[in-house]
Amino acid sequence: MDHEVVVRRKMTESYLLGELDPAAREEFEAHFFECVDCALDVRTGSLFVEQSKILLAAKPGPVAVDSRPPIPVASKPGWLAWLGPALTVPVMALLLVVVGYQNLVTYPQLEQAMNRPRVLPFAAVNLGTYGSGDQVISVGPEQGFLLMVRIPPDSYPRHTADLYNAAGKLEWSLTFPSLSTGTQDQWPLQVPGAKREAGSYSLIVHGLADSGESKEVGRTSFELQIQK
Amino acid sequence: MQFQSFDQPYLERLRAGDYRAQEHFGAYFSALIQIKLRSRLKSPEAIEDVRQETFARFFLALREGKILQPERLGSFVNSICNNVLLEHYRAGSRSSSLDDDEQKDIPAKGLDLLTLLAAKETQEKVREILEMLSERDRRLLREVFLEERDKDEVCRDFGIDRDYLRVLLHRAKQSFKSLYLKDTGNDEPAFTSA
Repeated sequence: MDHEVVVRRKMTESYLLGELDPAAREEFEAHFFECVDCALDVRTGSLFVEQSKILLAAKPGPVAVDSRPPIPVASKPGWLAWLGPALTVPVMALLLVVVGYQNLVTYPQLEQAMNRPRVLPFAAVNLGTYGSGDQVISVGPEQGFLLMVRIPPDSYPRHTADLYNAAGKLEWSLTFPSLSTGTQDQWPLQVPGAKREAGSYSLIVHGLADSGESKEVGRTSFELQIQK
Repeated sequence: MQFQSFDQPYLERLRAGDYRAQEHFGAYFSALIQIKLRSRLKSPEAIEDVRQETFARFFLALREGKILQPERLGSFVNSICNNVLLEHYRAGSRSSSLDDDEQKDIPAKGLDLLTLLAAKETQEKVREILEMLSERDRRLLREVFLEERDKDEVCRDFGIDRDYLRVLLHRAKQSFKSLYLKDTGNDEPAFTSA
């Protein structure tokens, strides 16, 4: 590559601007590796570009690089923008209707039902004794029931009963004190109404010592049937 | 770095392990190799690997008396570098092509105080040049080099052609070169992190 041509065509600038195709780039590189003048030119230009990038990137730098008036850009709505009046007002109105309906209709009906005398389905279950596990309780949809749980006498001051549903998932856990007289061995556990699946339920009882130690004292199971 | 011609005495000094000759050789060709590789390899480590391998092969060839044309020393180094680069591509590890966008900038590493001071002085000179440019030309350089916008698009936005861009860079580069060489007594710029 002829040096005069290189200078005339401003090959150094084209090289630094990344304008050369691969073949021209390699040809020019072969030239400036051999030509000390062009090597100096490329090195100086490269250094100028690198340092310019640093200076032009520095925001508080003395070089005022950008005095263009800022382009007005519509500000992006924040994530709370949806809480605008257009949505909030109708939502609040709907909430008022729901709260009013609950207070005037739903809760009085529930209260009335709670205070009404009734007989709950129940099953008597014994922990770890012969014959346990064959109890069947038939309840209405979402209806509660009673479990009469017989726990063999022990010295634990408290017991914890864990109810596992048909899928083996812990449904609830209840801790209750043992009576100091030690005469009672049967506890009625009220199982609140809930949407349940029919199947085999398990009750596992642990004895809780004052030291916090816990030990299983027995388990039983019963079959829950849901009336249609 | 003073100018030195590549001739038989230079080669002999290199072969004899002359410290100044080796230092000059290392600085001079390191800068050129880094400039050459920067657009081809994405990581500074890969560039350093290729540079070191190039030098290792060069000195091996020097010891074995395979450099027959001292005046074409630069071409010889460039050829070795091309071969090493091709092997690096073939090896396929830690290399990338021109299409890779990441980490094209090589950070300075292992700089001593004198080098840092030199870099600072260089930066001041570049700052002087930039401040002499018009606001429009500074924006132009910023969008081309810093923001790496498509050059045709930038030219359209600024209402200029590609020649204007080349001439602008040429003038700025010439101003910087003359300022630098004047202040340093015709020494070539010390390239540190290019």
